[in-house]
Amino acid sequence: MAALALPFLVPAVITGVLWILPGDPASIICPPSICSGTEELAARWGLDKGPVSFYFTWLGNAATLEFGNSWRVAQGYPVYDLLAESLPTTAVLCVLAMLPMMAGATAAALGWIPRRLDALWQALGLVPAVILALVCAAIVQINYGALSHDGWPGMLRVLFGALVLGVADGALAGAIVGTRSTLEEELKQRYVQIAVLRGESVLSNTLPNVLPSLIGQFRARVLHVMSGAVIVEVVLGIPGLGELLWEGTLQQDFGVVLTAAFAFALLSAALLLIQALCEIGVATHVRRAPRGVVGAS
Amino acid sequence: MRGQRAARLPWIILAVALLGGLLVGAAMAPEFVSTPNLDGRYLGPLQAPPMGTDDRGIGLHEYAMQGAAIVVLPAIASGALVMLLATLAGLVRCSGNTTIDGIIQVFSELVGSLPRLVVILVVALLLPQDWKVLLPIGLAWAILAAPGAMDEAATTAGRLGGARFVEALRAHGFSAPRIYLYHVVGLNLRPVIVRQGAEVAMQVVFLEIALSYLAVSQNEPSFTHSDGTYSWATLLYQGYTALLGEELMHAMVFGLLLVAAVAVAAQSVRFAARAR
Repeated sequence: MAALALPFLVPAVITGVLWILPGDPASIICPPSICSGTEELAARWGLDKGPVSFYFTWLGNAATLEFGNSWRVAQGYPVYDLLAESLPTTAVLCVLAMLPMMAGATAAALGWIPRRLDALWQALGLVPAVILALVCAAIVQINYGALSHDGWPGMLRVLFGALVLGVADGALAGAIVGTRSTLEEELKQRYVQIAVLRGESVLSNTLPNVLPSLIGQFRARVLHVMSGAVIVEVVLGIPGLGELLWEGTLQQDFGVVLTAAFAFALLSAALLLIQALCEIGVATHVRRAPRGVVGAS
Repeated sequence: MRGQRAARLPWIILAVALLGGLLVGAAMAPEFVSTPNLDGRYLGPLQAPPMGTDDRGIGLHEYAMQGAAIVVLPAIASGALVMLLATLAGLVRCSGNTTIDGIIQVFSELVGSLPRLVVILVVALLLPQDWKVLLPIGLAWAILAAPGAMDEAATTAGRLGGARFVEALRAHGFSAPRIYLYHVVGLNLRPVIVRQGAEVAMQVVFLEIALSYLAVSQNEPSFTHSDGTYSWATLLYQGYTALLGEELMHAMVFGLLLVAAVAVAAQSVRFAARAR
């Protein structure tokens, strides 16, 4: 349900907040102290026609990928184009960031990581992303200069960004400890002990039952990575969706921020949908007797 | 029991000391930092105690105290909000009210699906200029972090037996306030609630540092405090310039020490409140 509601809910909440806050919505988006042409802006965005009209007009335009033009981040440039340019970088960053977490989770599930190292992962996870990103940015800047954004230095920035997202703020610790504790809880179940007595593999018995929980954890981690991408992209100078959102916020470019937030909501909704489909797949698999389990004769 | 209390004592002392230090620093923070003194630039902690000076000759301790004043109360308020919401979720699960429990689950699912920092930036954009301080941003972060805390508190309450646990205690003649406030919240939910509250308070401090750092690095005003005050991000930014050759390594050291102090304070509160 959340997957379906989210893309509609995010613009609705932003619209609602815009009208609930004291003052004229156009003045909130474009404060007269720092921004001129507030009335033109109100007319162009339909802010003068009330929240319902604004919401449905914006949503209708969004359905045809018409997000208007940026008026401050890249004046006159279509927001859709800005989004299309920045999205692939953020996608690469997020996919790469998942690698250390997936490696950690797999190693934890297979029992390759000793429990006594948990304190180390947890201590590492206490380091905020901004600090790690700052160190990585300094390394790149010292070796390649402040304006090194193309070629290998640019790639290095993305790799460092992925490493920061995959390790900082408890990401790796959560993947290792979360996966292990989920599996250990399942191992306490009687059916696992009986399966062991029957000579069956523990993992093949437990995995289908813990997969829904692990998939849920995985989705939460992807979401965490997407959220953290904002900080990492700005500190490391990676031109992605997070940096676009930050620029939009700093420069009060409402069109860019609303569209970027909508894009993040769509991505989050897609993740929820994938989670639901995976859970359905696992449930269907569990209904059938898994291979390798000896049937009663 | 006495041994377990003794084991918690060092954590309680550490938590009180660190939080007390932050509160005292915040209370003593100057409204504005001193005027620049170009003769006293780049001095180390030994030459200009307690923390040395920056590239304008301003004492780093002034930034540290102003930073503490920016984060302490919003962080505590955010932690308290999460604790309140988690407590409510736990109590609802124990009360057996399936309607409110269902509403909480829908809220958790929806809010938990939002990328937090994206929402925070939208909040920062929409806030009127006068409201651009850490408190509303911190509270928004607390609401976004609440689903995890509420879910864990509700699961803990459910593991207790939920409504059956309350029913059993009623049969023993305990009053409702004693059951809910002492047995459920005080004895069983406390470790979960306090840990979640401490973590969110710590996250709000780190969020402030991150947002201010991004703003400072781009020479823009921060969303979290007024232009006349400085956050701990200033120390980190000056420390970053030290990595690039400026003589400000002491700013980096003190900036990192403050971050570490917050992390240790949060962990100490967590260990101090762990289950007996």
